[in-house]
Amino acid sequence: MPGQPPIDRRQPVGAGSVTGTTTEAIPALVLRGVTKTYPNGKSALREVNLTVPAGDFVFLVGPSGAGKSTLIRLVIREELATRGKVLLEGRDLARLNHREVPKIRRRIGTVFQDFKLLPNKSVRDNVAFALEVTGTSGSRIKPAVERVLRVVGLSAQADQRPSELSGGEQQRTAIARALVHDPHLFIADEPTGNLDPLISWEIIQLLLRINEMGVTVLMATHNAEVVTALRKRVVALEDGRVVRDETGAAYHRED
Amino acid sequence: MLAFVAFSLKRAWQGFWRNSLMSLAATASMVLMLVLLSGLVILLSGLDATLKYVESEVEVVAYLKDSATAQDVNVLTADLKSMPQVITITYISKEQALKNFQQRQPDVAALVDALPSNPLPASFEMGLRDPSDYIDVATFLRGQSAVDSVQDIKQTVNQMLTVINVLRTGGIAVLGIVGLTVLFIIVNTIRLAVVARAGEIEVMRLVGASDAFIRWPFIFEGALVGLFGALITIGLLLLVQAPLTSLMADFFNVLPVQASAIVGQNVALIVIATGVGIGVLGSYLSIRSYLTR
Repeated sequence: MPGQPPIDRRQPVGAGSVTGTTTEAIPALVLRGVTKTYPNGKSALREVNLTVPAGDFVFLVGPSGAGKSTLIRLVIREELATRGKVLLEGRDLARLNHREVPKIRRRIGTVFQDFKLLPNKSVRDNVAFALEVTGTSGSRIKPAVERVLRVVGLSAQADQRPSELSGGEQQRTAIARALVHDPHLFIADEPTGNLDPLISWEIIQLLLRINEMGVTVLMATHNAEVVTALRKRVVALEDGRVVRDETGAAYHRED
Repeated sequence: MLAFVAFSLKRAWQGFWRNSLMSLAATASMVLMLVLLSGLVILLSGLDATLKYVESEVEVVAYLKDSATAQDVNVLTADLKSMPQVITITYISKEQALKNFQQRQPDVAALVDALPSNPLPASFEMGLRDPSDYIDVATFLRGQSAVDSVQDIKQTVNQMLTVINVLRTGGIAVLGIVGLTVLFIIVNTIRLAVVARAGEIEVMRLVGASDAFIRWPFIFEGALVGLFGALITIGLLLLVQAPLTSLMADFFNVLPVQASAIVGQNVALIVIATGVGIGVLGSYLSIRSYLTR
């Protein structure tokens, strides 16, 4: 629920027992034998297995058309897997009823290459919009918005419109909007695709900070320099299959 | 809940003015339909009331010759009273008939005064036990030397019924066509509103807005078109009320005056319900085909 205390998930949020016999934390995200075939017969994902523990930072890499975006659409339940299971904090997304989908989405923060900001609203209103449309009362919206604007460093630009901002500031606005619901999982689909290298680093730093606050981050990217420099977990997709899943890895295979 | 209603109303209001030309066009067509509807309702309820009044009061009228004497009238009254088919008898003398006429048509009252003699006949108005008794009563009356002519109100009533039915059928058919057109215009207006908000809807989905938050503002926007249309229509009706009432009084000169207040209230309710109903239906159809998922 929005408007609550500052984000801090260093104590894993999903922590607790799955079956009552173990104290193992529930993974933030699990894909089990996931296949996605579109009606035109094209297979975007084939038998994908992936487990992302709570608090992890994962780069999703691979050429265009490898299935990165499809994977993300399955995780935010824009689409359903043809076969296999997608579990978000232990919940099977295919078994959610219609009313639960929006609630699940509030636990996921999502940003895209094209920011998806509303041009006729100020930075502050763009962020507040996410709370307004989920029925948050007005008195709780303001403090929550100011808080995330401080996190992304946009308090000074709060009254500007997206068209008056640089690309990096626009993406930070989008990040603030994605954070305002205190998500458990943060998904960034090519967040630096439209930004120059220096600004890209700023955005990455911000995502790392968000991760440090305990939020699980899944970032799809083509940015080899960033991936290789950070030595995080790298999941590589090719032709719809996971061809590599290494921790502390580089953008390209190194063996 | 309060946040939801406030949000939806605000969005509906913004949406209405965002594409104001289209919204106003939709409202105008709504007004056209509602004016037609209320015109038909007023006309039909006026005719209905007239009909009921005529039907309940009198079923047979017998006009007397001017040569009929008081003796003739007394005999006839006694005879009619003895007939089991006749339930009520009202004798209207020549003088009473003239007075009644002057009351109904005050405009020409002075003119009547100028006449050398009273042209109106005396008459008996009778209520019957059963409409089928008409033949017996009429046959008896026609056989009386004092009776000039016999008028079957039932026949007049039937003629009126035919007129009312034609009007009702024709009116409903025309209203149906206009109503469908209005519905179509609203569907398109709301569809444009949805397209204009495509970016916002995408963001709303992404951040976890429930379907109600996505859909209801558009329903409210459709309802707003209907409500505006209804209020404008009622305003127009109030403007023409005075001239219309006197016209009605002339046209249905037997109609009791107090009926018009009730008619007015009913018309206002019908206009608001129809306007808002079509607005809501139109936007519901529009978003149902557009926001499925």
